Amino acid sequence: MSEHIVSRYDDELKDVQRRIAEMGGMAERLVDLSVRALTRLDTTMANAVIADDRRLDQVQRETEELAIMIIARRQPMALDLREVIGAMRISNDLERIGDLAKNIAKRVLALDGQFQSKRFITGVEHMAELSLAQLKDVLDAYASRDVNQAFEVWRRDADIDSMYTSLFRELLTYMMEDPRNISLCTHLLFCAKNIERIGDHATNIAETVHYVVTGESLTQDRPKQDESSVTKVSYDAA
Amino acid sequence: MASLGNSAASTPQAQAIYRRRRRGNGILLTLSLAATVFGLIWLALILIGLLWQGFSGLSLVVFTETTPPPGATGGLINAIYGSIVMTVIGVAIGTPIGICAGTYMAEYGRHNQLTNVVRFINDILLAAPSIVIGLFVYEVVVAPMGHFSAMAGSLALAILVIPVVVRTTEDMLNLVPNTMREATAALGLPRSVMIQKVAYRAAMSGIVTGVLLAIARVMGETAPLLFTALNNQFWSTNLNAPMASLPVTIFQFALSPYPEWQKLAWTGALLITLTVLALNIVARAFLSPRTSK
Amino acid sequence: MTVSTLQNTLPEKISIKNLKFFYGDNLALKSINLPLYEKKVTAFIGPSGCGKSTLLRVLNRMYDLYPKQRAEGEVLFDGGNILAPGQDLNLLRARIGMVFQKPTPFPMSIYDNIAFGVRLYENLSRSEMDERVEAALTRGALWNEVKDKLSSSGLSLSGGQQQRLCIARSIAVRPEVVLFDEPCSALDPISTSKIEELIDELTADYTIAIVTHNMQQAARVSDYTAFMYLGELIEFDETSKIFTAPGDKRTQDYITGRFG
Repeated sequence: MSEHIVSRYDDELKDVQRRIAEMGGMAERLVDLSVRALTRLDTTMANAVIADDRRLDQVQRETEELAIMIIARRQPMALDLREVIGAMRISNDLERIGDLAKNIAKRVLALDGQFQSKRFITGVEHMAELSLAQLKDVLDAYASRDVNQAFEVWRRDADIDSMYTSLFRELLTYMMEDPRNISLCTHLLFCAKNIERIGDHATNIAETVHYVVTGESLTQDRPKQDESSVTKVSYDAA
Repeated sequence: MASLGNSAASTPQAQAIYRRRRRGNGILLTLSLAATVFGLIWLALILIGLLWQGFSGLSLVVFTETTPPPGATGGLINAIYGSIVMTVIGVAIGTPIGICAGTYMAEYGRHNQLTNVVRFINDILLAAPSIVIGLFVYEVVVAPMGHFSAMAGSLALAILVIPVVVRTTEDMLNLVPNTMREATAALGLPRSVMIQKVAYRAAMSGIVTGVLLAIARVMGETAPLLFTALNNQFWSTNLNAPMASLPVTIFQFALSPYPEWQKLAWTGALLITLTVLALNIVARAFLSPRTSK
Repeated sequence: MTVSTLQNTLPEKISIKNLKFFYGDNLALKSINLPLYEKKVTAFIGPSGCGKSTLLRVLNRMYDLYPKQRAEGEVLFDGGNILAPGQDLNLLRARIGMVFQKPTPFPMSIYDNIAFGVRLYENLSRSEMDERVEAALTRGALWNEVKDKLSSSGLSLSGGQQQRLCIARSIAVRPEVVLFDEPCSALDPISTSKIEELIDELTADYTIAIVTHNMQQAARVSDYTAFMYLGELIEFDETSKIFTAPGDKRTQDYITGRFG
């Protein structure tokens, strides 16, 4: 894209994009750290996540202010308008992702070393890997303005959702096996839900990237495979 | 200069250039002022002489008695009357023709070849020596009729009025912004309405000024009247007979050896000058409040 | 021209078909095809010299006032070609009004400014004319400001008021289409807002075309936007589409301020 006649405008838009990239990196790291803290029950790592989330919130606020300033002063049109609106939406999603990572980290502190079996955690870990990959891909798609890549991310969200549904079922089964697992599994369930939500936010970002590049919204219904709300596990099955 | 600091203007070289420019400016200013003063001095001398000589002869008699025979005393009433009558008739004939021609040139035929031709001829007419006009009317009117007449004089003056009015009408209408024409046209109004109701209104003060200046010009004309209205020693209101006029009377009396006549010539000159001056002032007053807005 | 995504069945008040325009030998409009939808606002945008004003001035044949300007093609107004020889220009201009860049009140009273155009086409009694003047001034959002000084000169009004007077004057002759040629470029932002509000209200009854240098203004007031460049119509679409996701790169470059 050629440059604006007013070069300061270009600088401001680039600044917004740079901040989004920075936030993306921070969000990825927070998610990664929080999941590692969970699998290792590492409270130091968890505390680091909680502390770092504040920094992410801070950058999000700055980005939003910058975007508002651009709207007020430059009255962006067309591509630029979509760019600024996109940046605001994405920064919101990334900030939410940070919050979700922080929530996982808080669970780690609550779990407080009552981990016995590795088998409980593998499902969550696997799901986290998938969500993280989604987040990474969608940030790449944003950086390279790649609609196809964004669309792939958007389509794959269904996988995370179905994985969550089966994990939900699995954790319920553990709880029924042994009531002593209930406390742990409930925490894990919430973590899984948070990870699933991170995937949703990645999908949001994919939609935003699509809008920024094409000017059109992804109008198809979102692929939804999360059926946990209607999932029943009977005692007989256990 | 010190406050300019390190700017290019503060170098010694720049200062030298600046000083030279100032000197050049000073010389040119002095020369222009001198030329202006030189020109104005003569104008002032003429006016002072005119006032001095003219006022001494000014009395009520000038306005009540006709021009005297040599050696006797008298006034200028027949010449004043003649000047006024012939000017009024001349302007009355010339102004409508001039306004119509100017309107055609500015409104209807603005981009025509005809307009260019008319403008060119009009400019020549504007600059033509007035004696040529007088000779022309003599050939066309006086000679066939066999005698001089006030009517022929008026006609000669009318021919002098026309180019002035044509010029100012065209110029003033051209000054009416095109947006005004477009605005009128945009309402679906025909051009005739636009000219009458909008263009003339907007150009009114300018056109009136043009007419006043035309009056001022013809009032002082001698040459065209010499061959047409000639002169008349006596009171006459007959348009078909020779008629006196101030300029011709001045011409005749000033050349004469009689001191009474010469005095009257000065007085007549003063009257014409004051009238022309007054007309110019009125014309200026007419033009200024509207155009300066 | 970028083919728009318009799937439109709106009635076309004016249809411009293969319009070419010449200043002498200079081709100023290159085969323009464009509809003006009935009771909608269509904005023409583009850099200076792109032909947008020229196009507007074809619609009421204002160019006829000047020599060596001619148009080819068709401009259908309610189905009739206004470029056809024999078109009565005064009648045409009474049906397609125009408001100019600079306010152009006539050198006469406010009342007469409005009544002036009406008198030529209609024989109204004094009271009918009073009503018409009041209605036009009310429509022009000027009545309350001038009702006590109808006999004072139109030139005594402020710039914004003068422009509204001109709009009221156009409306008074009851046109069907009103063309605006950069109506706010000489006005301050408050007056501009008033004119924009007025344009918005006029859409109820009139088909409107507006040429503007101010893109935000086009975005604010119009339903459809045409982007022109170097005498060509580059893109025509719904305004919301043009200003969020234009189809042509040149349109995008222009409205985002990237034209060098």
